[in-house]
Amino acid sequence: MLDAESGALEQARSASEAPLRLAGRLALLLAAIARAVADGELDRRMLVKSLYETGVRSLPIVVLTALFTGGIMVVQAAPIVERYGAHGLLGWGAGFGTLREIGPLLTALMISGRVGANNTAELGTMVVTEQLDALRALAIDPVGFLVAPRFLAIVTTLLLATLFADALALVGAAYVGAALLGVDPTVFYSGLTSGLLGFGDVAHGLVKSLVFGGVIASSSCHYGLTTTGGAPGVGRSVNAAVVVSAAGVFLCDFFVSFLIA
Amino acid sequence: MSEAPVVSEPRRRVLGALGEAGLETTRTVSSAYGVFVRTLYYLVRGRHEPGAIARQMYEIGNRSLVFVSLVMGFVGVILVYQGGIQTQRVLPDLSQLGATFLELLVRDLAPSLAALMVATRVGAGIAAELGSMAVTEQLDALRLSAADPVDYLVKPRFVASVVMLFVLTIVSGTVAYACGLVGAQVFFELSPRSFVDLSLVDAVYLGSGLAKCLAYGAAIPILSAHAGLTAQGGSNAVGAATTRAVVHSSLAVIALDFAISFGAHALFGDFSR
Repeated sequence: MLDAESGALEQARSASEAPLRLAGRLALLLAAIARAVADGELDRRMLVKSLYETGVRSLPIVVLTALFTGGIMVVQAAPIVERYGAHGLLGWGAGFGTLREIGPLLTALMISGRVGANNTAELGTMVVTEQLDALRALAIDPVGFLVAPRFLAIVTTLLLATLFADALALVGAAYVGAALLGVDPTVFYSGLTSGLLGFGDVAHGLVKSLVFGGVIASSSCHYGLTTTGGAPGVGRSVNAAVVVSAAGVFLCDFFVSFLIA
Repeated sequence: MSEAPVVSEPRRRVLGALGEAGLETTRTVSSAYGVFVRTLYYLVRGRHEPGAIARQMYEIGNRSLVFVSLVMGFVGVILVYQGGIQTQRVLPDLSQLGATFLELLVRDLAPSLAALMVATRVGAGIAAELGSMAVTEQLDALRLSAADPVDYLVKPRFVASVVMLFVLTIVSGTVAYACGLVGAQVFFELSPRSFVDLSLVDAVYLGSGLAKCLAYGAAIPILSAHAGLTAQGGSNAVGAATTRAVVHSSLAVIALDFAISFGAHALFGDFSR
């Protein structure tokens, strides 16, 4: 009886400790990255390579996601707009949803899936095949050489991708609105720029994307670096990294929405 | 005396890249479609193993429930908050907030956001599991024993995912609505009585929401299993398969969302008012 009780308590304690432990590990990783950057140990060539790998090569996915997102926003706003007969407000409705929430969120989820997962898989493979130990044996700091460039590349990519996706999604929304509701794109654009939306709405989304980038980059690096156990281990790490990134993105969305409102 | 090329070099490179991407997509879609058809075949003619399906239901459904509900709860509060603030800029009263939120949840947000979460958690899990089996040659061992991996491994995951996505969507959508209700009361002092309003939900919206559940529930396990089954190489390959699974399933969710929403609006848009 007592054993069962203390067992359950123990289980509850370790379950509530796990997120705190993770937060602590991520903070230590961030500190190590900041130290490497401050000490000038950041490898410039790796940074450029990472920027190309994560940024340029994610473009197709970002473009596809953004165009569909714009379309979805209009289709979802359509019944509401028609109910009130407020076609001039379509641009505003699709605009605030895209700029403040859906644009940053969906871009972050796609980047997390493509870049974050890939990053964990690459680092994890290097860890299981002892390539990190080889780097240390050559007196090369793995944080400055591998982790910091990837971290900076992911954060930069997500910020730029969100800006790009916002613009593309609104273009997509304008033409889906024209096809579906017969709202002229010029009416759509004037709804966007009529003063109900400002730069604040764009900035709101961009601040979020910076935070999301930090969450995705740090969790994907963390799970990559702590991989154990061969090929199945790499799979488990990637799985854990995408789950933590997605949950972290939504939690941060919640808190950032209130902090900067 | 070489002829001037019809297309200039940079343009040719862009066209080449586009063509390659198009071919790659066609190849992936057609081979994933093959897995889908075989899964359907084995659903009718394959082995009966309720145990495996129940295990996968637990794995896909029960073990995602907390994750999906937690995320959807936060989403509910954020959407009510952002929507309410924006609505206040153009409309004087917020009495329609609850009804509109429920309408959006039923029609789109509950199935699509839950499916994006499932695509990440379950899709990555399926691909990692099947990918590890592929690179450690366990799939070849199955094939040697005259057992098709699609029948043994993909079919139970497919059935479990289709069923459990409905359950996850309904539960997490309810959580999102409840959290939105609390949010509306805290931020805008809307009483629960005026927030709970079913007047804007009709059969067409409910139907398109459930159609989305079905489509996502079928697409996620097929695309993820396909990514896992086609993994080749070492530990690199498992990671690559997991990445592909998440990207393909998320893109499929977004594309299906657009297609079904557009179709429903184009077909039934006039009846729903």
